Amino acid sequence: MNIILEAKNLAKTYLVNKREKHVLKNINMSIKEGELICVMGPSGSGKSTLLYNISGMDKMTAGDVIFNGTGLGDLSEEELSRLRLDKMGFVFQQINLLKNLGIIDNIVMSAYMAKNRSRKEINQQAINLMKKTNIIELADNDITQASGGQLQRAAICRALINNPEIIFGDEPTGALNSRAAREVMDVFHTVNSEGTTVMIVTHDVKVASQSERVLFMMDGSIVGEYLLGKFNRLEDNLKHRERKLASWLLEMGF
Amino acid sequence: MKHIIVAKRGEIMIFKILKRDFFRKKVITIAVFVFVMLSALLAASGTNLLIDLSNSLDYLFKKASAPHFVQYHAGDIEQKQIAEWSEANPYVKSQQTSEMINIDGAKIYINSDLSESDTVMDLGFVKQNRTFDYLLNLDNEIITVNEAEIAVPIHYMQSKDLSIGDKLVIKDDNLELNFTITHFVRDAQMNPSVVSSKRFVVSSADFEKLKNGTGEIEYLISFQLIDRADLNKFSNQYSRSVLPKKGPAIDYQLLLLFNSLTDGIIAVVIIIISFLLNIIALLCLRFVILLTIEEDYKEIGVMKAIGISPPDIKRIYISKYFVIALGASLSGYLFSLFVNKIFSKNIMLYIGKAPKSIFMSGIPLLAAFIIGLIVVFFSMIVLRRLNKISPVEAIRMGNTGGNYSNNEKFSLYKSKLLNTNIFLGIRDVVLRFKFYILLFFVFILATFIIIVPLNLLNTLQSEGFVTYMGLGQSDIIMDIRQSDQIVERFEEVKTYLESDLDVKRYSPLVTSTYEIMNIDNLPESIYIETGDLTVFPIDYIEGMAPLQANEIALSYLSANEYEKQVGDEVQLISNKNTRSMLVTGIYQDVTNGGRTAKANIEPNYETATWFNIYVDVDKDIFKKIQEYELVFEDVKIIGQKGYLEQTFGNTIEQLRLLTITAIIVAILVTVLITSLFLKMLIARDKSQIAIKKSIGISIKDIKIEYITKSLLVLNIGIIIGTLISNTLGQKLFSVILAMMGAPKFKFIINPIEAYILSPVMMIIIVTLTTLLSINSIRQITIADINVE
Repeated sequence: MNIILEAKNLAKTYLVNKREKHVLKNINMSIKEGELICVMGPSGSGKSTLLYNISGMDKMTAGDVIFNGTGLGDLSEEELSRLRLDKMGFVFQQINLLKNLGIIDNIVMSAYMAKNRSRKEINQQAINLMKKTNIIELADNDITQASGGQLQRAAICRALINNPEIIFGDEPTGALNSRAAREVMDVFHTVNSEGTTVMIVTHDVKVASQSERVLFMMDGSIVGEYLLGKFNRLEDNLKHRERKLASWLLEMGF
Repeated sequence: MKHIIVAKRGEIMIFKILKRDFFRKKVITIAVFVFVMLSALLAASGTNLLIDLSNSLDYLFKKASAPHFVQYHAGDIEQKQIAEWSEANPYVKSQQTSEMINIDGAKIYINSDLSESDTVMDLGFVKQNRTFDYLLNLDNEIITVNEAEIAVPIHYMQSKDLSIGDKLVIKDDNLELNFTITHFVRDAQMNPSVVSSKRFVVSSADFEKLKNGTGEIEYLISFQLIDRADLNKFSNQYSRSVLPKKGPAIDYQLLLLFNSLTDGIIAVVIIIISFLLNIIALLCLRFVILLTIEEDYKEIGVMKAIGISPPDIKRIYISKYFVIALGASLSGYLFSLFVNKIFSKNIMLYIGKAPKSIFMSGIPLLAAFIIGLIVVFFSMIVLRRLNKISPVEAIRMGNTGGNYSNNEKFSLYKSKLLNTNIFLGIRDVVLRFKFYILLFFVFILATFIIIVPLNLLNTLQSEGFVTYMGLGQSDIIMDIRQSDQIVERFEEVKTYLESDLDVKRYSPLVTSTYEIMNIDNLPESIYIETGDLTVFPIDYIEGMAPLQANEIALSYLSANEYEKQVGDEVQLISNKNTRSMLVTGIYQDVTNGGRTAKANIEPNYETATWFNIYVDVDKDIFKKIQEYELVFEDVKIIGQKGYLEQTFGNTIEQLRLLTITAIIVAILVTVLITSLFLKMLIARDKSQIAIKKSIGISIKDIKIEYITKSLLVLNIGIIIGTLISNTLGQKLFSVILAMMGAPKFKFIINPIEAYILSPVMMIIIVTLTTLLSINSIRQITIADINVE
């Protein structure tokens, strides 16, 4: 399988009270096309910062990130924006829908901005996505008129509207109850099974155990990797995968 | 006990909120403070100016013992007759007749080798009066001068930068008198610059020399009444009497008006500006409060939830605005104490310093305090919004409560507009308009203060302005200068023009003084322009030009005064014969106090003041003017444009200065408020911007959205501002001009300046300000909000 994204000696340093804080230290990692990968680690280990840096949202301090053969370090802010708009999708813990737009507007906006397709085509895709995620009846609703799980599914629709090559999830189930979390993970699996690469940052063993591979971070470095293999929702025993992963995590000091 | 702890905890939280609030909104909080302070400063200074004006005027009029009624008279008098009439009149307290010698400016040299031949002032020389109407020095003391000493009006002290000890010489073929300036005259009657006569005080001996040597005598028949309230009755009696009245009459009210005109207008303008600033301050304040409530929505909900009562919450918020309002208005008042001296300088010089009571000193403080009070009261009204916050909703939703997404009609999904950024910008302004009111008002105000002076300036400069001067449009205006052979000269010019092939048409018109019977059936003198009025027709607001010898057209103010309309008759006295004239038309005229008339009758050469010839030529106007200047001596020849420039040159110059000042002020206020507003808006929209950036919306796209917002508000502001300028602004001036004689005043608008240049200028300025102010978008990242 081809590598879609690769980090080479990636480092990120912040200045906090005039002192350097190394949040990411010399990270080397890669993500394969069509993979569903999770990054785990304790709070403050640098998981989210890793996600922001490999997606070009934040400027790395050193090293480089190669996305589909393009080095992100060489791109201007404008080019990075365009790359995120066209090729990447994002789902956040805080959901982060635009509060002044209705649900369907939130979904179609970034596609309208990308101007790659006709509005008719975009609208049709938005409707299809909402049907697929079971929120079609909320299309005209205000974002205050939906539950957390429904909003997160809307956010996934937004992330998918431009047919991205990769979706990043930053604790996408962190603010949801277990049922809503399951629904959201189901959507991720569907998307992944259709060929989209997914990278999720999470605390949740249940979520991580559904991935192919888990990276474990501590103090800004990747300290371990655990291969679970592709998860088959119909055949695999999730509890079993969870237990295996949990015992490994325990070993890693999680 | 539990209640107290909860409340304490609440108060600590509120204190934290307010502290954070100040630091987050430092700039706009300071802006509110400054606007309130300036507003209070101007309110205090404006009222102080009004108080100084009336106080000083009272004091001056008392010290000078100002006359209540003065009849000027050029001609002989019978003092015995005047004395007897006054004796018998029940209203008169005292009467005084003084002589004034009017000397031609060409004979007067004020501390210079050049004479005053170009002066527009009538220069009168007098002795100090005996019983009232005293001429005072700069200490408000009655002036006494010895032989060879002179007291000179303040007007000259200022315009010629004179000091005590400077020289003044009166010199003609048979007389030369040298004077040393020993005083400057504060003259209750002739002080103001709008009064074109000035009185110089000389000793009795010098006065006799002047009287025998040069100049013309004019009498000032002055009265003081027992009760000033009887002034109208008295002046009616005087005008019906046989007493002399060849010349204007003025009364106490008019003196007060003239003396307070300039400074009074300044005071009113200052107070108006103070109100405008106060409105800006209030709108800024409203904006800050709305932002604060939105930001603290959740905290306010929590406070309510833990049991702090809404009035308590409100009180803490109010305390902040109370401190701002009180501090700003107090410092405004303190600053005004320094500024007052600058504003009152003119009053102190021309009218003089007067003792002031504590009560009077307190009024400006009160004015400043009222400004502060308005601010507090206003913030209380805006803070009523706090009541609407439901604790459950605030805590559950956790967001700002300022959402408006549920608006299906304005959905992006259903929009047809192609550019998403522009659509989002427009949508935000339309759905959240109350938020943009501050910006909107400032744009309207800026447009108004640019367009109104611009239109006024353009109107005054345009050739069409002659409409308001009772003139027809012509290429060249000739003015034959007064001399003994003026009538002959007039005929010569006419003969020349008759045979000049370049002349398309010309019209000789003579303006002479006649008398018309007024509504009290008393003769009143009036300037009547006579000749064929159809050659260069003027615009009549009613009726048409007088054609026959028994027809007359009246200016708007004359018609009002005589209560005549088209079709009525007036009684005209010419050469002691009374004849009936039919009013055929009414026209606008702001010249000669607005009271003139026109008729196609024979001129009265004995009382003729102006001999004009209006000419239209086929050739280049400038060349023709040069040619005529060589041919005719003693004739002033100017193009119509030049004529307007001479008449209104000063006014135009001042207005141009005012226009430039207005444009600069408008730009400054626009830049300041736009940048403040956008910085606050960006701070408020930070999380939304961060989200957009994270999902790949470019900075350029976001900037387009914000520029759309500013420009949309600006364009609506410009349209409404222009409409208000052309309606309300025009109305304002038509009211003033109606008083001067032109009720149908209309702005003559230069569409390029008013509708293209100034909007384009505003658009460029606002776009640049917006771009600079929203640059902080660059620094916002998703990490900022996810950390919060």
